[in-house]
Amino acid sequence: MTNSERILIVEDNKLVAKFFRMALERAGGFSCLVTEDVRKMLPEVEAGRIVCAVLDVSLHDTEWEGQPIDGVELAQLLKKHAPRRLPILMATAHAMAGDRERLLAASGADEYLEKPVYDADLLVEKVQRLLKPA
Amino acid sequence: MENFIQEMKRYLGLGAEDCELLRNLGPHMERYLPEMSERFYAQIPHHPNAFRVFTGGEAQIARLKRTLQAWGRGLFAGVYDGAYAEERFQIGFRHVRLGLEQKYVISAMGIVRAFLIDSLLTEFPSSHERLRYARSLGRILDLDLNLICESYFHATMDNLRVVNQQLEQATIGLLEAGRVKDEFLAQVSHELRTPLNSILGFTKLILDGHSRNAEEDRELLRDVYSSGQHLLSLVNDLLDIARLEAGKITLHLEDINPRHVLDSTLPLVAVQAAEKGVQLRDETLEMNLPHVRADEVRFRQVLLNLLSNAVKFTTRGSIIVRAHASKPQGFLRIEVEDTGIGIQLAERELVFQKFVQGSGGKSRSSEGTGLGLAIARRLVEMMGGEIGLESGAGGEGTRAWFTLPLSAGLSNSAGGQSRQEAKAGIEE
Repeated sequence: MTNSERILIVEDNKLVAKFFRMALERAGGFSCLVTEDVRKMLPEVEAGRIVCAVLDVSLHDTEWEGQPIDGVELAQLLKKHAPRRLPILMATAHAMAGDRERLLAASGADEYLEKPVYDADLLVEKVQRLLKPA
Repeated sequence: MENFIQEMKRYLGLGAEDCELLRNLGPHMERYLPEMSERFYAQIPHHPNAFRVFTGGEAQIARLKRTLQAWGRGLFAGVYDGAYAEERFQIGFRHVRLGLEQKYVISAMGIVRAFLIDSLLTEFPSSHERLRYARSLGRILDLDLNLICESYFHATMDNLRVVNQQLEQATIGLLEAGRVKDEFLAQVSHELRTPLNSILGFTKLILDGHSRNAEEDRELLRDVYSSGQHLLSLVNDLLDIARLEAGKITLHLEDINPRHVLDSTLPLVAVQAAEKGVQLRDETLEMNLPHVRADEVRFRQVLLNLLSNAVKFTTRGSIIVRAHASKPQGFLRIEVEDTGIGIQLAERELVFQKFVQGSGGKSRSSEGTGLGLAIARRLVEMMGGEIGLESGAGGEGTRAWFTLPLSAGLSNSAGGQSRQEAKAGIEE
């Protein structure tokens, strides 16, 4: 991975975002883009500089075209704008029975992690597996 | 009804000849009807529900006896059509309404039948004539008995239908309550997992040697600590909400001087406000505040919640505390007005729901449980007041307010006491 290829982290809880960044950077050697702003992430995705995205489901402050959007809709949007295959990992505190299937089906995401996600090595392993060509 | 009676008439063999005979029989039987009703009511009051049914004393019994005689007269009408059936049907409906059980009416009908057939012996010495009359009389009494049974059935069905509807409503209510509970549980799970993610995540980063140095250890531990604190406030708020919703919080209402509550609560947020460079001003200092009837601990909790929100959502400017006595009449209104991010009109009610936070600003992060205002509203309403949000002066910022009923003694001097007494449901 070159330096310009990054993992996108969209997470509305600042501390959780900080953990994801540290885990991916320290345990996986990745570089990260952390933002909740669609206008900031979309050009990066379109330019192919994002190789994987880690998305939260409930996004308090994220909007697109004047409407609030959640991680499910954001996953669809990013997939649509990515020039090539963009693996997406949903990391969410929605952990009731049926949430996994429902969220994966609705978002088209590739993987699902239930919060608390606290094992950096496990997170890195998941991302690395997603990065391998299908 | 018409179908039913035609079917029964065919089945019983009640034909034109019987109608003719019964019509002829009527005048003969008239003198037996009083005796018939005596016998009937000699039996009926012995049934176990009699005390519920016969509550009108002698006058009621006399009236019922007349009704029974009219019923007996009806047997000899000679026309047994839908209208006849309809009239007979009403008897069963009336009995079900009164709680008179079918089995007792059937046995009483047996007495009536035996009496009427016996009376033919006296009336018609010729056995040939008597037997013809007896056969027709037997048929019409069978028809009536069937009509009464059928009407019992319908009346019972009607009652069951009503009960069924009530059960359906109750079921819908229970399902809805269950759904609300599931939703709450899902939200609680979601809210608890978020701080846990930071607590476990940062701890494990340190344990696994991913932290660079002792200084970073300390930084991460501070994040763990603040997440732990957040988790604690969540647990406390959740317990408050659960106890409020279960009706397990009892208020200790007493006459309270709001001055004491204001003076002891404002300092709790003063430091935080000062750190942000926000001015905190108490405009009630010069006022002579009337006493209120409230629970002091809960009063302080509500005020602190509004003040904390104001500090949280204000980065510059000021937070002003105001009070209005008797606005509305019989209440003290306390306002916390800030020059913060404000709150959209559409969200002013929503934020009082559990786990709903305003969308304004980027200040959410790990702050707030989303339960504070939900708790505050319940507490204020339990104390007989109201709570709300509106725009601050000039449409800037937010003005949060709540009201508490004035103490009875002092509200008189303030000019109003009736509204406070009209507010019901306050536990002392």
